[in-house]
Amino acid sequence: MSTGIVTTDLRKTFPVRRWQGWRRRPAAAPVPAVDGLSLRIPPGQVTGLLGLNGAGKTTTIRILSTLLRPSGGTVSVDGLDVVEHAREVRRRINVISGGERMVYDRLTARENLWYFGQLYDVPRARLRVRIGELLDLVGLTEAARLPVERYSRGMRQRLVIARGLINDPAYLLLDEPTLGLDAPIAHQLRALIAQLAADGVGVLLTSHYLAEVEQLCRHVYLIARGSLVAQGSPAQLAGQTVRRHTVRLVLAEADPSVTAALRALAVRHDAELTVDVDDEGRPRFALRHPEDLVGAVVTAVVQQGGAVAGLTVTPPTLEDAILALADPAAVAR
Amino acid sequence: MSVMGATFVRNWRITVRAYPWTYFVGTLATGVLTIGVSMLAYRAIGGGRVGASFTAATGSADYLGYVTIGAAALTFTTRMVLWVAKAQITEYREGTLESQLLTPARRLPYLLGVTAQALSTTAVEITVLVAVAGVLGVRLSVPEPLTLLAATVAATVAVVGMSVPLSALMLAAGEAHITQNTLFTAMALLCGFTFPTSYLPQAARWLGEALPVTWALRVLRAATLPGADVDPWPAFAVCLLLGGAYLLVGLSILKPAERRALHRSARA
Ligand SMILES: Nc1ncnc2c1ncn2[C@@H]1O[C@H](COP(=O)(O)OP(=O)(O)OP(=O)(O)O)[C@@H](O)[C@H]1O
Ligand SMILES: [Mg+2]
Repeated sequence: MSTGIVTTDLRKTFPVRRWQGWRRRPAAAPVPAVDGLSLRIPPGQVTGLLGLNGAGKTTTIRILSTLLRPSGGTVSVDGLDVVEHAREVRRRINVISGGERMVYDRLTARENLWYFGQLYDVPRARLRVRIGELLDLVGLTEAARLPVERYSRGMRQRLVIARGLINDPAYLLLDEPTLGLDAPIAHQLRALIAQLAADGVGVLLTSHYLAEVEQLCRHVYLIARGSLVAQGSPAQLAGQTVRRHTVRLVLAEADPSVTAALRALAVRHDAELTVDVDDEGRPRFALRHPEDLVGAVVTAVVQQGGAVAGLTVTPPTLEDAILALADPAAVAR
Repeated sequence: MSVMGATFVRNWRITVRAYPWTYFVGTLATGVLTIGVSMLAYRAIGGGRVGASFTAATGSADYLGYVTIGAAALTFTTRMVLWVAKAQITEYREGTLESQLLTPARRLPYLLGVTAQALSTTAVEITVLVAVAGVLGVRLSVPEPLTLLAATVAATVAVVGMSVPLSALMLAAGEAHITQNTLFTAMALLCGFTFPTSYLPQAARWLGEALPVTWALRVLRAATLPGADVDPWPAFAVCLLLGGAYLLVGLSILKPAERRALHRSARA
């Protein structure tokens, strides 16, 4: 038996129907949302699942959590197949997703947790303790007796987090869990995720906040159009593309000799140079190169007697790497 | 049991907090109106007497009692179906179906929890309706307790049996209104709530016979109509069998229906 969540050649195609005259017909070629994914989410660490909008992250999480059936391939949780042993799998996992309702508006936080505790068959004594702990953990102890319909968005999301932990899941699937949370609570949640992983929980995290991913994930899968495009530690991923520093320079006024000097500099270093004008009509330059060329740029401008109006340097980030790997066309633009 | 109990408590809390009084008034008004119109027709057109064919079909000449019991039964049936069959599509619309389906809980105890809560609420509504009928001047004879209990059991089984496939239909279609109103209209016409099913054309009669509610109503009639010396137990048995069959079919199509609903909602 293999521990962890293991997916093999996972596929999911949604039936796409389009209105055609009076009838809805299946579209000619449905596009797969997940297309041959093989992942492993081991216990005791945070695994990242990254990709642009529509890459298939949520679909993958819905399959892992038994909500959707795969169209092809297999998923096993600690050796249990998610289709065949769905009920057993549900006991072991839970999902927290940002931006979904998931809890009952007319019930209080305490009543919500109690109800879900019953659905997960948590023993009575354990449940009583657990509800108190969780309310404390997400900072809802004071609001625990208010109906959820009177909560703010962030408070509701905190209850969704507590709901996701009510069954002490061995695996926790997080779909943009910090969406809509304020900074202190998001920070707390990250600490909690790290703690859960340290305690042996296998966590899958999707997030559009890359700092979060860099901080928490030991291993990251990057997907595009449902397929794996890269994997590794965040540092390895960031290193997989040409990392480039970008120097952006705005001149106080147009000066042909400065432009010529910068062009020469770009040719000499084999750097990529784009020239345009900013909102106020001043010449603007962007120089991209694996090394930080800011010193050389400033020297060139000053030597030609140019006046610098603005200067910024952007170091390479995981974000650049992800963009480059997931959508090469966008970066070339 | 814990899922059933918890769902009962949950629904009870929600109902106490936000009971839709308009529903209550609406159902009550329908019941009272049915009785009122029948009274008028009976007095004004029938001259206070029923035809021999009615007496032959029901074994009783107490048309007002017949209609009152029918109205109470129709209220019971529609209210119960509204609670039980719409439980899941309500979860779907409020965005909690997924949190339900993520848990290992089974569907039947969940639906039975909803049923238990619906029974307690509907009992109150029926009591009020029958009391109002009494004020209007309808005199009901005291029912035979054991048969009345059997009728209640039969009616509950019939309603739950029909509600489960209905729940699946609603989830699959993503729609509740058309489905529920079609059923309500069909039931009101086919099941013998306001007139004996023998008045119906043959084909419609067969349709009525296929609905467990029709049989539950026969048990109820046996319990409540004075002079109707019919044996309720055959109808009781048919009702349980038919209700059980509906339930089994319902449970077996519920999962694919849920999957369909999830496919639809995933896009959001
Ligand atoms: N229920 C559905 N029916 C049809 N197509 C769907 C459905 N759900 C998702 N898709 C499609 O599957 C693809 C993947 O969607 P998914 O929601 O998994 O992306 P994602 O990576 O979670 O994106 P995001 O970052 O925006 O949350 C998209 O092209 C989407 O349009
Ligand atoms: Mg998503």
